[in-house]
Amino acid sequence: MTVLLAAGLMGLIGLLFSIGLGIASKRFAVEVDPKIDGVEKTLPGVNCGGCGYASCAMYAEAVASKGAPVDLCVVGGAKTAREVAHVMGVAVSGEEKDKIVAVVFCQGDSEASAFPGEYRGIKDCAAAVYSQDVSKRCKYGCVGLGSCVAACPFDAIHLSATGIPFVDAEKCTACGKCVAACPRNLIELHPLKHDAFVYCKSQDPGVISRKVCKKACIACNICVKAAANDNNADAVRLEGNLAVVNTKAYAAKAEYGAKCPTKSYGTYINIVNKDRVLGRQSVPAQPVEVGAVSAEGSGEGEGPGDD
Amino acid sequence: MSILLIAIAAVVVNNFVLTYFVGICPFIGVSKKIDAALSMGIAVTFVMTLTSIVTWFITDLILVRLNMPYLEYVAYIVVIAALVQLVEMFIKKTSPALYKALGIYLPLITTNCAVLFVALLQAMRNYNFIQATVFGFSAGVGFAVAIVIMAGIREQIEIADVPKPFRGAAITLITASILALAFMGFSGLIAA
Repeated sequence: MTVLLAAGLMGLIGLLFSIGLGIASKRFAVEVDPKIDGVEKTLPGVNCGGCGYASCAMYAEAVASKGAPVDLCVVGGAKTAREVAHVMGVAVSGEEKDKIVAVVFCQGDSEASAFPGEYRGIKDCAAAVYSQDVSKRCKYGCVGLGSCVAACPFDAIHLSATGIPFVDAEKCTACGKCVAACPRNLIELHPLKHDAFVYCKSQDPGVISRKVCKKACIACNICVKAAANDNNADAVRLEGNLAVVNTKAYAAKAEYGAKCPTKSYGTYINIVNKDRVLGRQSVPAQPVEVGAVSAEGSGEGEGPGDD
Repeated sequence: MSILLIAIAAVVVNNFVLTYFVGICPFIGVSKKIDAALSMGIAVTFVMTLTSIVTWFITDLILVRLNMPYLEYVAYIVVIAALVQLVEMFIKKTSPALYKALGIYLPLITTNCAVLFVALLQAMRNYNFIQATVFGFSAGVGFAVAIVIMAGIREQIEIADVPKPFRGAAITLITASILALAFMGFSGLIAA
């Protein structure tokens, strides 16, 4: 009898609650645009923020209800853009975009650059820079503590054995997290097709930059002249004590750096797997530039800590 | 027992997380960022207060009258599950911003044992209606205080140079235990 009563009571309570919930779900029903859900399903769902919205869900909402462009997702690229356009019932504008990747503008690894001291503070680039307590002598170069590595949601950027970050072109989605993470603004987003940059941001006069780093730009003007001789005067120009490749036109060629005395003008530095992406030919995953460096420096531990 | 004593006892002296060790799962799981921890704390406080009120009615008006207090566990679980559902629907309708802020944490509260514990404890202590309400609310506040403190510490640990064997879960648990030790300092403040 007790058992029956207990079961009956629980059944009654359960029934009451379920009826209450049923009524509540009708009363509090919120109408959601099914397109928002549909768009969100086609997105990668990594919430990287590369589209300019805080999360995939917010981007989906913007597309479905505010008419945001369908091709903003940098992770999914053209494929996702097509799918989103399909959900929204619109045509995709334009063709495949050029692959854009993060480019690291510093070559001052533990071999090229002077590391007079050892940094023992918080392992964070911004903290090191703001505390003025950086082991490297160059005031513009990479601190090498890997804040960009920690910021990357795609495992696409890593520190080489000698302490300079390099980007995996295959994994990089140009979401811009590492760009924001670098306190010295050494990382920029550029199309992978373009292969010539001055991989240095040092504004020190040549006399100083030559002392603190073997691979610093010393503003010798050779690449600028080479560009001018090629009737391409605007491709590289001198800004203060630094040669800068024009990134509006992307007209600079790799040859202009042939005579660069410090090899700061280079091509595809700090990038791996670029050939796979560019689809020229299949090369093994081992990087060309960085691999050579890391092979030499493999016995040196983590780089910046070494002297 | 005065209302104030019940409140102070539940918030600091007999803090649910750090003294009774209930609700450890969200305490460890959702304490990585202060914002998220605060959202979780508020959501739990909300649900705990409601649970305490509703279970008081269930206990006093139904279970005790019918002489079936042994059903309390089952009944409370049903009540909590239904309540969380109801709260979720209600917030979704009335305040989409709050709904987004709480996100996944709201349904997760269903399985938070601290909520069940508050219902059981107030029934065990034979609180009256007002006492039960205050007890539920302050137990939630105690949970929120504990989880926010923990999140603050963990944000600092994130950038600290922790020795390798202690990284991750290990340092988190050590931190939690030291925090619990610190809260032991309140014991004896009030006999509750």
